[in-house]
Amino acid sequence: MSYEKVEVYSPRSLAEALEILSQKKEHIKPVAGGTDVMVMLKDGVVKEKELLNLSYISELSYIKEKESRILIGAATKYREIRRSPIINAYAPILIEAVRQIGSPQIQNLGTIGGNLGTASPAGDSIPPLYVLNARVKLQKIGTSREVQIDKFFLGPRKTVKEPDELITEISVDKMEPGSYYFFEKLGLRSANAISIVSAAGIINLENKTVKYLRLSLGAVAPTVIRATDAEEEAKGKELSEDLIDRIAKLASEATKPISDIRGTAEYRKKATYGIVYEALYRIFKGYGKKIEYGFEKTS
Amino acid sequence: MITESISKYSYINKSIPRIDSTDKVGGYLLYLTDLKLENALYAYTFRSKVAHGKINAIYTEDAEKVNGVKAVLTYKDIPAMNGYGAIVPEIPVLAYDKVRYYGEPLALVAAETQEAALEALSMIKADITPLPVIHSIDEALDENAPKIHDKGNIARHTVVRKGDVEKARSSAYIVLERSYETPMQKHMFLEPEGGVAFVDEEGAINVLAGGQTPYRDRIQISRVLGIPPEKIRVKNTPTGGAFGGKDDITVQIHLALLAYKTKRPVKLVWSREESGIAGFHRTASKIKLRTSVDRDGSLLSNEATIYLDSGAYQSFGPTILDVSIETINGPYRIPNYVIDANLVYTNNGIASAFRGFGAPESNFAIESMMNELADELKLDPIDLRLKNILKTGEVGPFNNEIRHAEGLEEALKRAKELFYRPDPTGPFQRTGVGIAVSVKGVGFGTLPEFPSAAIEIAPEGRVSIMFSNVDYGQGINTGNAQLVAEKLQIPLSQINVLHSDTKFAPDTGGSSASRSTFNAGNALLLACEKALSELKMEAASYFMTKSDVITYKDGYFYFKDKTVSIYELAKRLRFKGKSTRFEATLEVPRYTEAVEGTLEVPHMVYMYGVIITKVEIDELLGKIKPREVDFIADIGNVINPAIAAGQIEGGIIQGLGYSLIEELNYDKDGKPLNINYTTYVVPVITDSPLINVEFIKSYEELGPFGAKGVGEVSIIPVGASVADAVTDAIGKRNYKLPLLPWRII
Repeated sequence: MSYEKVEVYSPRSLAEALEILSQKKEHIKPVAGGTDVMVMLKDGVVKEKELLNLSYISELSYIKEKESRILIGAATKYREIRRSPIINAYAPILIEAVRQIGSPQIQNLGTIGGNLGTASPAGDSIPPLYVLNARVKLQKIGTSREVQIDKFFLGPRKTVKEPDELITEISVDKMEPGSYYFFEKLGLRSANAISIVSAAGIINLENKTVKYLRLSLGAVAPTVIRATDAEEEAKGKELSEDLIDRIAKLASEATKPISDIRGTAEYRKKATYGIVYEALYRIFKGYGKKIEYGFEKTS
Repeated sequence: MITESISKYSYINKSIPRIDSTDKVGGYLLYLTDLKLENALYAYTFRSKVAHGKINAIYTEDAEKVNGVKAVLTYKDIPAMNGYGAIVPEIPVLAYDKVRYYGEPLALVAAETQEAALEALSMIKADITPLPVIHSIDEALDENAPKIHDKGNIARHTVVRKGDVEKARSSAYIVLERSYETPMQKHMFLEPEGGVAFVDEEGAINVLAGGQTPYRDRIQISRVLGIPPEKIRVKNTPTGGAFGGKDDITVQIHLALLAYKTKRPVKLVWSREESGIAGFHRTASKIKLRTSVDRDGSLLSNEATIYLDSGAYQSFGPTILDVSIETINGPYRIPNYVIDANLVYTNNGIASAFRGFGAPESNFAIESMMNELADELKLDPIDLRLKNILKTGEVGPFNNEIRHAEGLEEALKRAKELFYRPDPTGPFQRTGVGIAVSVKGVGFGTLPEFPSAAIEIAPEGRVSIMFSNVDYGQGINTGNAQLVAEKLQIPLSQINVLHSDTKFAPDTGGSSASRSTFNAGNALLLACEKALSELKMEAASYFMTKSDVITYKDGYFYFKDKTVSIYELAKRLRFKGKSTRFEATLEVPRYTEAVEGTLEVPHMVYMYGVIITKVEIDELLGKIKPREVDFIADIGNVINPAIAAGQIEGGIIQGLGYSLIEELNYDKDGKPLNINYTTYVVPVITDSPLINVEFIKSYEELGPFGAKGVGEVSIIPVGASVADAVTDAIGKRNYKLPLLPWRII
């Protein structure tokens, strides 16, 4: 248990936050919600003695459309994503994931930028971002850059973000009308569980032929991964149980899991096969979830 | 489903809401860890980061210099005995020569502020030479293993036998030999271990901490401080969950020691992680069975080798081992048996009491064996049990005359109607059904017990009932109030409960072994009889007649056309300088002699249950979903059906956690890996199956209004029934709990 005093800076504007960050750099830990950072602080994993609290910066909390993309402010809470008509209409796969993160208490505080900052391979909002071709906006005083989500993570808790940069925005593709999608998560219990394996997929079918499949996997490698071989295999082929088997096998082969108290590496490989197979099988049999524009549902 | 049958009683057999529910639901109730004492010091524990090692030195000088620090205590500061433990006082209050588990307490700090206390804590240094760590029963038994205690790594070994197993086995139709394993389970109560202590104006040390057995806590504190028990007060209520994990000492002695040394109020509450590291857990088990049956399914012999992992010290280990011995023969007619039982030391924390107390471990073995034998014999598993269960009046394997076994037979017959495999809900899902029988003694078996309880009739119109058992959520306050209301025929609203406080309540023992209703209930009924007899004489004096012509009903005595209430009579007694408090002591019915090789086997009164578990397994993911659980219970007459069903449901869900996902793990250095709710995964409400609880109509003459007990009966058979259902679903038998998905596919 940590006992040392921690100083918390709570700027009200992005400019102010970037200013503080430019001075303190690696000595200050940005925190957006704190559902991970506060635990890590208690366990002594976070060593910084100063926290940059981003919760009061309202300009970092938004969800808006921009042509074929959706822009999400980094400090947008899971709860707001769940309730957003824009996300419900154009990126419901993100809702599938976000509603399975932690508990309502976590969803009321946790943010999407925070989930990226924590950079856990088991972060549940991340696999959908991979298949939505997300880009992460990193900002520092006077300049900003955008990084493709699959280039953003370097390993568990490691990203390309520089100490004087802040994650300010995540942008994603709108899903194409008629696409099927899924987010499946396997935990040791039915709620409030850390993923043993997770998978997110978007599949676009023309009649029964796969126009494209985007498939990402969580908790089975040092970062979330895209199962590109599986995606390639699917392209242009007619969806069948045989194809699903091949896709699931390739997905399983793409993983590099570890053994821990939540599961053995061998099991994670088997479960990756199972989770992908079952999700695609449901779509194949007509039980899959499909995106229909203009229909705004609430969850 | 709970059905309340038409009852001849006014206050029992009724699902009366808990008398403490408003305070709990409203959040008004202050648990002991919520208490804030004026001027209190903050206390923390300095713990070993080495799981097994020799202590060379503990350096506290720098910590003592921190501003605001009032005490830094090590073993050198213990006034009398440096040891505690419910059965054998071998657990050091503060370690002195060796550390035997990761997190073992080495020093205590108390300071004016949390910051000062934590700063001091960080300045204590321990010089410990690490020794090889023993992680498991197998490692402990290795002949080259380092000795955790001077006497070796076997804390207790005993052999219990009857008949001639070799002869029985040689004539058997089938002999099966199997090994079973169960994990360490954490209690994961919502309120971690903690409390406050202070020295009162009379110089008595008051310890107010979550616990289960205040009078034993008091004796254990007294031995360490070297002061008489009457100079110590222990109050254990309200406690936010215990399940056995607060039955032995947790913070009580540390609190008392700090208050005694500093003469200041002290607060000590373990963090969730400390509870995970240093709190108790259930014994892991390895059990080998060789069981033989005749062609018709009659059990001929049972040979058992039981190993329980006691961790670094014994706590309740010796008696847990006894219950595992008693449970390994099930409720069955087994003419020949040999039980070789061993309690083993390892460096895995300290195992102690946990709901079921050695029974879930043995039940998993014998009930899994029964299911496999039924398979081998091509017999219905219920028929196999019906054939082998002991009948009322028969002499059981431990020489005890069986009482009221009809309930178990009826429960098994009812189970036949519920025993079917459900349909799968979708593709890749396989379903299965499993069964197991539960049996558990109520109370401490042959160990002598003399629980006392009291009632006090206040002229203002209230009856206080006093007993030392703790209501840590199981509902004993409400149950006991219902018993007294029934006996005195007065409304429940007139009853006030004072419990689990050595200052007010007599020694009824603790809340454990499903004994609280039986012991406190019986003692309270005796106290009521005493009160009524005394009051009747006072009524005779009031009516100017003889007591034998007076009748009693609904709180009033009647003579001809005249009446007088118990409260009016209490006023008269007080006026005469007499007490209106009536205390009685129960001599708990028991067999006087324990079976050779045991400490407390057998019990006289047993609870029974039959569980049917229906599961669905995803064949690609290995994930087991319990869909429906039926539990048919014989717990004697049911005082409060809703509370009793709640106990049974709670036990089932805790048992499902134990069977499917819960397992305390230690790393190679002996450090526990899963010590909080994130890493030690317990079921949540959405994991709960549909649970159907049914009670067999039953009446145990020895119990209060025919009641037996309920707390432990349902957790015991869950493991075997789940494993059996999984076998039914996937065709492969499992011998190790928990049934984690990676052990299934």
